[in-house]
Amino acid sequence: MRQFVIIGNSAAGIAAVEGIRKKDRNSKIIVISDEDYLSYCRCLISYYLAGEVKEEKIFYRPESFYKDNNVELFLNKKVSRVEPKKNRLICEDKSIFGYDCLLIATGARPKFPDIPGIKKRGVFGFRTLKDAKEIAGVLALTKTACILGGGLIGLKAASALKKRNVEVKVVVKSKQVLSQMLDFEAANFVLRQLEKNGIEVIFGQDVSEIIGNGDIKAVKLESGKVFGCSLVIVGKGILPNIDLIKETEINTNEGICVDNLLNTNVSNIYAAGDCAQTLDVTTGTSSVNALWPIAVEEGRIAGRNMAGENISYDGSLGMNSLEVFGLPVVSLGIYKIKEDLASQFEELKFQDPKANIYKKLILKDNLLVGAILVGDIKNSGLFLKIIREKINVTSFKERLLKDNFGFPEIMDLVNARSKLYV
Amino acid sequence: MKQLYYKVDKCLGCKSCEIACAVAHSLSGELFNTLQEEVLSLPRKKVLYYKDKNYPVSCRHCKEPKCVDACMAKALVYDKEKGMVLHDTERCVGCWMCVMVCPYAAIRPNLKTKIPLRCDRCNDKDNPACVEACPTGAIIWQEETGLRV
Repeated sequence: MRQFVIIGNSAAGIAAVEGIRKKDRNSKIIVISDEDYLSYCRCLISYYLAGEVKEEKIFYRPESFYKDNNVELFLNKKVSRVEPKKNRLICEDKSIFGYDCLLIATGARPKFPDIPGIKKRGVFGFRTLKDAKEIAGVLALTKTACILGGGLIGLKAASALKKRNVEVKVVVKSKQVLSQMLDFEAANFVLRQLEKNGIEVIFGQDVSEIIGNGDIKAVKLESGKVFGCSLVIVGKGILPNIDLIKETEINTNEGICVDNLLNTNVSNIYAAGDCAQTLDVTTGTSSVNALWPIAVEEGRIAGRNMAGENISYDGSLGMNSLEVFGLPVVSLGIYKIKEDLASQFEELKFQDPKANIYKKLILKDNLLVGAILVGDIKNSGLFLKIIREKINVTSFKERLLKDNFGFPEIMDLVNARSKLYV
Repeated sequence: MKQLYYKVDKCLGCKSCEIACAVAHSLSGELFNTLQEEVLSLPRKKVLYYKDKNYPVSCRHCKEPKCVDACMAKALVYDKEKGMVLHDTERCVGCWMCVMVCPYAAIRPNLKTKIPLRCDRCNDKDNPACVEACPTGAIIWQEETGLRV
């Protein structure tokens, strides 16, 4: 009987437990989490903050999950370092765990900018249920909040606060919101929707200081302008949690480097989820694609391989779905083309601003490599399949953005097992 | 377990199945009243035309469903016994992750209710509404193992 240890109790960690148990019902599985809760739906913390999801509905698996899968769970325990040569890991509280096979699924944490006042009470990241609870706890005393960053996390936090009747100002360094998932035009559809719902966005600025003695009173922008607020949420990107292996022989870059089996360069150590760096199928480079569905895919495959299977992961890609006050937005793969590379790519576009619809597809050598869909997202899954399976679109290129484009048109080009018509 | 299959050579593209589906999932369950309902019931099946043939498209209840993996709210579960993806609308937050990853584009976002729609094979009814409505017998409802291509 072997001993599996999984560090992390979220999307990748849970999927890995299920992956291991597919093949191996008997070996011991230990899950270690530095959080204080059973596995929960991390992406729902904005809905929780908005009051739309109650705490009992936020949990990702029933309480019995751990017992049913014969998992020994340790909460509130932070692993400080892994010792690959001794096949063991050491926690902050000095406890030691040995393993035969280890999965690092430690996720990521918010990046905090290095500015005066960032450590003050009232400055929050927006990553954990604890963050959401603490923010919810100060809302009664909060009239105005400032969000640093106009990415997905920043905008989800902003929308949630607005729904709780807090005035929200979002401060964005670049010229657009969601600069990591949309082009400028699509971002403007989102911006209009935010503004229509009373969220103010300030562009081209960073917050240079958070002001207040004890509690927050205001934030100061680079321009020198100051505005009052008592709550600050930081959404300036994330950092993979890889400190625990920094001093080991495990290869890291931005995240932990893994091969197509989700295996690190140490044969009995795997990594998956937001801390892992995998092949991006649209860019061809190795990247951290820190996304829930990707973490589940990777965790499941890592778990199965840890249990002795040999399943290859075909790679990740950036993909995200977001709903902004009723406006659906999906981004897949490459969403923006660098100007000097423009000649290599082709763009297909459809827009109807009155209906709040904007669709753009990005092609390279007649292969779809990216898509942005605003307002009409119904075919996004098809586009994802076309991207993933690298289907040549030459014969139906002009039909891709038509309203009645659908699965039958690519039926003959996809894997045979997808066919179900007789 | 029974599955839905389609004989596309028989499908005329009349969309009777779409209408029957919308009616079956409406509050009243009856055509005239369905049209009066405040939130219009939408079909979970779409008939698409391609190269002289019509293809009804709806959720296939994949055995390794991408949508279940992608669901960040744990609103989707694959039920092995029923051979179906079950959708808990109480837990669903309308994030559209399932729509984003469905390789058949068979999950339809209902933007009004913020709930994605998918075929539920009319749950406990003996025959799904689309099967009963199809005038040409193009929709087949039978055991997976009994299929002769």
